[in-house]
Amino acid sequence: MKRTAPPSVTGEWQLALPLTLFFGLFFIGPLLLLLVISFYADPAMQTWGTADQYIQAVADPINLDVLWDTLILGLKATIICLIVGFPLAWMISRASPRWQGLMIFLVILPILTSVVVRTFAWVVILARRGIINESLMTLGIIDSPLRLLFDETGVLIVLAQVQMPLMVLPLLTTLQRIDPNLTDASAVLGAGQWRTFWKVIVPLSVPGMIAGCILVYAACVTAFVTQTLIGGARNIYMPLFIFQESMDLQNWPFAAALSVVFMISVLLVVALLVTIGRASKAQPA
Amino acid sequence: MTHPRIDRRSLLAAGAALAGAPLWPRITLGAESLIAAMFGGTWSEVHRTILKPCFEKDSGASVSQAAMLATEQISKLTAAAGGQPPFDVAMMDEGPALQAIERGLLAEYDASLSPNFGELLPKFQDPWGPSVSMQCIGLAYNPRTVKEPPTSWEDLWDPKYEGRVGITSLASTLGTAFLVEISRLNGGHEGDMGPAFAKLQTLLPNLGAVSANFGAHAALFQQEVVDVGVQNFNFVETLKGKGVSIEWVKPDTGAPAWKTTMHVVRNAAQPGLAHTYINCHLKADVQTAMGAAPYNVIPTNANVPLSGQVKEKVAATHDELDKLIFYDWSKINEGRDEWSKQFNRQIRV
Repeated sequence: MKRTAPPSVTGEWQLALPLTLFFGLFFIGPLLLLLVISFYADPAMQTWGTADQYIQAVADPINLDVLWDTLILGLKATIICLIVGFPLAWMISRASPRWQGLMIFLVILPILTSVVVRTFAWVVILARRGIINESLMTLGIIDSPLRLLFDETGVLIVLAQVQMPLMVLPLLTTLQRIDPNLTDASAVLGAGQWRTFWKVIVPLSVPGMIAGCILVYAACVTAFVTQTLIGGARNIYMPLFIFQESMDLQNWPFAAALSVVFMISVLLVVALLVTIGRASKAQPA
Repeated sequence: MTHPRIDRRSLLAAGAALAGAPLWPRITLGAESLIAAMFGGTWSEVHRTILKPCFEKDSGASVSQAAMLATEQISKLTAAAGGQPPFDVAMMDEGPALQAIERGLLAEYDASLSPNFGELLPKFQDPWGPSVSMQCIGLAYNPRTVKEPPTSWEDLWDPKYEGRVGITSLASTLGTAFLVEISRLNGGHEGDMGPAFAKLQTLLPNLGAVSANFGAHAALFQQEVVDVGVQNFNFVETLKGKGVSIEWVKPDTGAPAWKTTMHVVRNAAQPGLAHTYINCHLKADVQTAMGAAPYNVIPTNANVPLSGQVKEKVAATHDELDKLIFYDWSKINEGRDEWSKQFNRQIRV
């Protein structure tokens, strides 16, 4: 037997054992269980080994409509996060160290409170007689209250705020790593500020954008609390849909099949984002 | 001095054991501790403030209470089937109770361990667990924005309420009972919901919001997202007690109602304490306290007369409770899966 790795490395893989074990027990295990359950034919889980649930999931158009709506919701929220988050991350990366600390604290502040509390705070803000509507009406900008709660607009606003840190933090790391000499060099070579931004800063920050987008996207499409409390029952997204099947109707096999379909769809989107990231890295900026 | 040597193997073993901790059977805090499920809203308030002290006095044990919908309780008990259940006492509405019994999740109630069981009116003495109360639904409205109170379900269809009506999904008994009632009033019944869905379609222009669950439903009125809608009698009274502008009206066609029951869970860790706990809910003094404002919980003990808001708005006597509208919940359970899908299809924006 030939060992190529130096002796110091052979022991290192063992350090990953606890984590591997943990993942195996609490992630891979339940995931396999989910797969197994999805192949039961009936809610009472008596007959196993059919794809009935998957056929049902694809056959009924409402299932695919809800899936599509969810994937698009994630896309919209991610774009908003990127548009708002980029300037924010840019500003923080240029600020003096003292301000930087404070601004980063403000950005991560939302993560420090429970998502349920945050969402209920938004319910109060977005309600018909909430802060936004009352202020706009007092200022005479609108005559009747805007419909923000129980509407996709509201869901997008809240998702963008709640998930913003997941976009800003990776972006910030990338932006801070950009060598300031590069912008100076660009300026010396005659590029204006906009040109420097588009030709130097943006291409160099793509890895951060991709990382942020993946995090935000995955968090938005699965944000059960926000989607349900702000969107209500008329804006149905996959997490609520799966909850209804599993908890309200106790149809676990169908809920499991929906979960698997949902998970694969989200993974495909994430894979797409990773591919875009790789492609942009391969191209010289 | 020798340092205790921790070798890698034992460290790993300890780590794995720790990681597996949630798989262990429920950790009991003290020797005598009960875990009880309850509904949210009015129920969690009366259970915390009235039921818990009574139980602690009668048993000398402690109880931890967790708010859960009936359907959620069934899911958790089903998931734990065969092992030790996550809680000892379940609280159910009629439909879910039948489902839980059918699935073998509940234990039969031992009346000999429950001295006050016999004080209940006969119709509330079920062998699977006593009815601790009844719940009924009706029309709720905001008196600040609705000057002329609604009187019938039909009023929800009034064009003047365009975009101002709130209903809730079929996840709760409240939402289900509303839909069955609409079917009944339009020539259908529990086995024939066609008329309900046809009628629901015409309600769409008026729908301001459909809450995804019971908890969110109260917020519709609290945040004034809707001005009028369907709501549980007790919940309106509790909200009113919190200063929310809301009133409840019994519809002119009667108020749909169902029994609310409590059960000892099969294989419960503390069956004795579970009986003591449920028995407390049957006592005349406990039911009298729960029947007072702002809770207005409908009593089931024959020695507790109906009073206050219950007497004024729901029924004057125990006999009059029979005039509320009841359904065949086993029939409803058969159809719920299909109705839920149909409901989603119709209300989806």
